[in-house]
Amino acid sequence: MSRPNPSAHAGLAAEQLIKEFNITTLPIDPFAIARDRDIEVFAKPAHAGVSGMLIRRGNYFAIAYATHIDNEPFQRFSVSHELGHYFLPGHVEAVVDDRGIHESRAGGDSNNKYEREADQFAASFLMPRHLFFPALRSAGDGVSAVKHMSSLCKTSLHTTAIRYTQCTRDPVAIVISVGNRIDHCFMSEALKSVDGIDWIRKHDAVPRNTATFVFNQNAENVRNAGSADGTSSLQDWFGGRHSIEISEDVIGLGSYGKTLTVLYDIDVPDVEDEENEKSLIESWKPRFR
Amino acid sequence: MSRAKKFTCLLRTRQLKLYQIVMNESTPTSVFPDRLKCAREYRGLTQGELAERSGLQPSAISHFETGTRKPSFDNLRLLADTLDITTDYLLGRVSDFKELAGADRLHRHYSALKEEDRKFADDLITHLANKAANRGKDKK
Repeated sequence: MSRPNPSAHAGLAAEQLIKEFNITTLPIDPFAIARDRDIEVFAKPAHAGVSGMLIRRGNYFAIAYATHIDNEPFQRFSVSHELGHYFLPGHVEAVVDDRGIHESRAGGDSNNKYEREADQFAASFLMPRHLFFPALRSAGDGVSAVKHMSSLCKTSLHTTAIRYTQCTRDPVAIVISVGNRIDHCFMSEALKSVDGIDWIRKHDAVPRNTATFVFNQNAENVRNAGSADGTSSLQDWFGGRHSIEISEDVIGLGSYGKTLTVLYDIDVPDVEDEENEKSLIESWKPRFR
Repeated sequence: MSRAKKFTCLLRTRQLKLYQIVMNESTPTSVFPDRLKCAREYRGLTQGELAERSGLQPSAISHFETGTRKPSFDNLRLLADTLDITTDYLLGRVSDFKELAGADRLHRHYSALKEEDRKFADDLITHLANKAANRGKDKK
């Protein structure tokens, strides 16, 4: 059973906005959208601090984004995130009180509903399904598909990989790991609907007989954005009764310090095939009277 | 719009504010439905006319005024510009149509904001205030 994404509406709002702007090609330019709404966008000086700010004075708005991480996808995502706060209904209440004092809620981290919605907005805004999906069909598989789409959308490998699982019709999963532990995993809808598999949980151990486990034994692989590929079994990762071979691509995410694994080529037999095979085996069993 | 209607409109605004102080339950978007209706009627516009001028759906105006839909900042700004009022009025932060309140700083980890970020945000607020003042002069 798949759990609905509570921020899905934010993604739909972003995609609707892209349609209203009549944008038909990737990459999306968040700076241009901001300009269209007369929102001035400023690069903050390169000191560490918040990744983004949306500021309102009367009817005028500005966005500031961080530059201490010299990475275009990160900066584009930060600006899109702030646009999410600007365009999403209900965010007014989250950030303004009637005394005119802003109070940060829930620490302003990813556990905050509004921050999660703005993140989903940013991902769907930079990678709208109606543009992302057709491009994905000719992008190949595994990490090469993620790399291709990341280059096309000017988004990070990590964000693109998550979006890949949200938009593909194939059974795939992406796993982010640190050392021997899994940080998080996203599964495509097609994989979630496979009967009898377990969901990978945060802090689970990376399965030992996988390319990811071997890759993560050397921290240099992650730091130097090395890559590896191999095959593993669906059971290795998800348990269940399907002992089928799957493809596994691994890539280090550099200074992010994490490893991205893409699991694909998951040829799950459908229920009807399994039933037919079962009855065929049954029919060939010798019976003694 | 007659003076009597304007007076009624402002009176409702004040009554609403008093009610909120007593009930201690005001939030920006709980004030918004009444403020929007008040300003729209003051400008002598129907919901359909406001929708057409602001580029929003007529049903959206209706939902905003009944409180069944919450606005985004983009909605607020479109409505405020169309009605020639401030977003601060729509948010219930000031009593008069064109009055301005302080600035909002909308960002993550506000309480842990570094000094450099605070200064940068303050500079931007000043910049926006100047921009508003200059555009106001242009209009005149």
